[in-house]
Amino acid sequence: MTPGAREWQLVLPLALFFAVFVFAPLALLGVVSFYDDAAITTPGVAQYVKFLTDRFNMAVLGQTLWLGLLATAGALVIGYPLAYIYMVAPVGVQRVLMLVIVLPLLTSAVVRTFAWVVILGRQGIVNSVLAAIGLIDAPVRLLYTPSAVVVALAQIQLPLMVLPVITALGNIDPNLRHASHALGAGRWRTFIEVTLPLSAPGLLAGCLLVYAGSVSAFVTQTLVGGGQLMLMPQYMYQQAIQANNYPFAAAVAMILLAAVLAIVIVVNIVSRRAETLVHG
Amino acid sequence: MTTRGVALALDGITHRFGHTVAVDGVSLRVEPGEIVALLGPSGCGKTTLLRIVAGLLRQSGGHVAVGGGIVDALPPNERGAGIVFQNYALFPHMTVEANVGYGLRARGTPRKDIAETVRRMLALVRMDGFARRLPRQLSGGQQQRVALARTLAVSPRVLLLDEPFGALDKNLRLDMQIEVKRLQRELDITTIMVTHDQEEALSLADRVAVMSHGRVEQFARPDEIYDRPASLFVATFVGTASLLRGTLAEGVTLECAAGRLPLGSVGAPSARAVVLAVRPEHLRFVDPASAGLDAKIELVLPLGPLVVYDVVLSDGTTLKVTTSRGAGVTPHAPGDAVRVALVPGAPASVFAE
Repeated sequence: MTPGAREWQLVLPLALFFAVFVFAPLALLGVVSFYDDAAITTPGVAQYVKFLTDRFNMAVLGQTLWLGLLATAGALVIGYPLAYIYMVAPVGVQRVLMLVIVLPLLTSAVVRTFAWVVILGRQGIVNSVLAAIGLIDAPVRLLYTPSAVVVALAQIQLPLMVLPVITALGNIDPNLRHASHALGAGRWRTFIEVTLPLSAPGLLAGCLLVYAGSVSAFVTQTLVGGGQLMLMPQYMYQQAIQANNYPFAAAVAMILLAAVLAIVIVVNIVSRRAETLVHG
Repeated sequence: MTTRGVALALDGITHRFGHTVAVDGVSLRVEPGEIVALLGPSGCGKTTLLRIVAGLLRQSGGHVAVGGGIVDALPPNERGAGIVFQNYALFPHMTVEANVGYGLRARGTPRKDIAETVRRMLALVRMDGFARRLPRQLSGGQQQRVALARTLAVSPRVLLLDEPFGALDKNLRLDMQIEVKRLQRELDITTIMVTHDQEEALSLADRVAVMSHGRVEQFARPDEIYDRPASLFVATFVGTASLLRGTLAEGVTLECAAGRLPLGSVGAPSARAVVLAVRPEHLRFVDPASAGLDAKIELVLPLGPLVVYDVVLSDGTTLKVTTSRGAGVTPHAPGDAVRVALVPGAPASVFAE
């Protein structure tokens, strides 16, 4: 046996893991979604028809994707400047910044979500401060609002935006900036015409990660949204666990998967074009 | 288009990075339309000096004057300095056309004029027909032409080239050297070029500033640099030189461990302990009756029209001697005993130890 023929066997453990714990459940989910009744006896497409023809269901899907978009935009608005500051900071400051950026990844999403609950609650930090400086008389409702979910998701997913952008910015030859300045372009024009387009691959990768993470963030959506907000992950949970309608829950899952996949594919095509433009 | 050359003056330029002095009190006067090479080993401060002239780096001390006016406080484009980077730094996501027009767009030049200038610049560097290409679709030489066009498009008063030919392979290098010289002459633009390649500096530049440890060791015409190096560093860094240590007797004879070597006329040092730096072609073999140093041929390297000999003196010092390989002359063979002397009239560079 040649070494080349043996080497492929090294992927077996991982392939097996994926097969058993990712693809098999997914396939099972797919199969279950194609049953018309909750008892899983009659095969059919009734669940999809039900979902796609119902206004409420479509609204849940729309709201979920929209929320993901807002959270991504939020992470972008905070994350890009943060990545930029990191790149221009002196080495000492960079170390501290990197710790701050990566730290959230070291704590669980549940912990970070509870932190937001504490911050935004009726007796939370924001309300206490506003009351203390006399801006409000009664606590404002911050928690359990869509905006709260967007803000919390943007913060929780932030590292996934910042890290790819830092990598992309670091790959830009500093002489390109110098050349731009030497040709008479100011900082702003240099940023818009050189730095921003050349960091596009990292920016798109970051958006993709944050988006995919945000639309499926069951814990954050549920705890910060407080069940007031019907979103796809919670809808699935409700249909499967509370209504015991597994086929419908499976169909909801498949539809969310398809919707996110479609977006991922589109962004990937765009980012590949950006990539070839930047790196050849 | 003609940009009349302007004079460039560097006055006591000093630059420190933390505690290291990168450039140490450099003063140079570059004539209008002149091409000057900053030559030196890496780390000698030549690139730092170029960046200071370009306005990309603010010097710790001293002044830069372009066309008589001090430009220390001005950003690169306002001081009229155009720089071409070593790796060309073309914007990879822009077409050739967009690259060349970049500086004009940044200045708010009307569109029609930009298109016209871009066309003219691409014609100037013989890159018409490549306007719509992306930099990665071009060869190294083509990229350099585009980089030159991009810099020249904003009509700089001074052209700065950072290791312009370093990234090109040997054949292309000569073509581009000729090209740059042609453009420089055509536009009559004052040019400073940084290089560590002495052949490049000596062949392209009107004058060469040899730098070492942040200082200018010598600033002179290439032939002077070669024939009359001002310091031992210049003598050994530029061209090939053999070194002979000894003492000066009566100012005209070098007494060294291997014997006595008449030098003709020596100007400078009155010091007794000296080093003679001598070019291989300034040495010759003489008949045993004449004054000179006894040596033995160690190696013979026939190089086309020349023969290079490695000879060893009685004290073990080696010298390089070049002779032309005339018709009917049998070259010496390794092991031959010879007598070495200076070619009459050859410049002898003697430095105090």
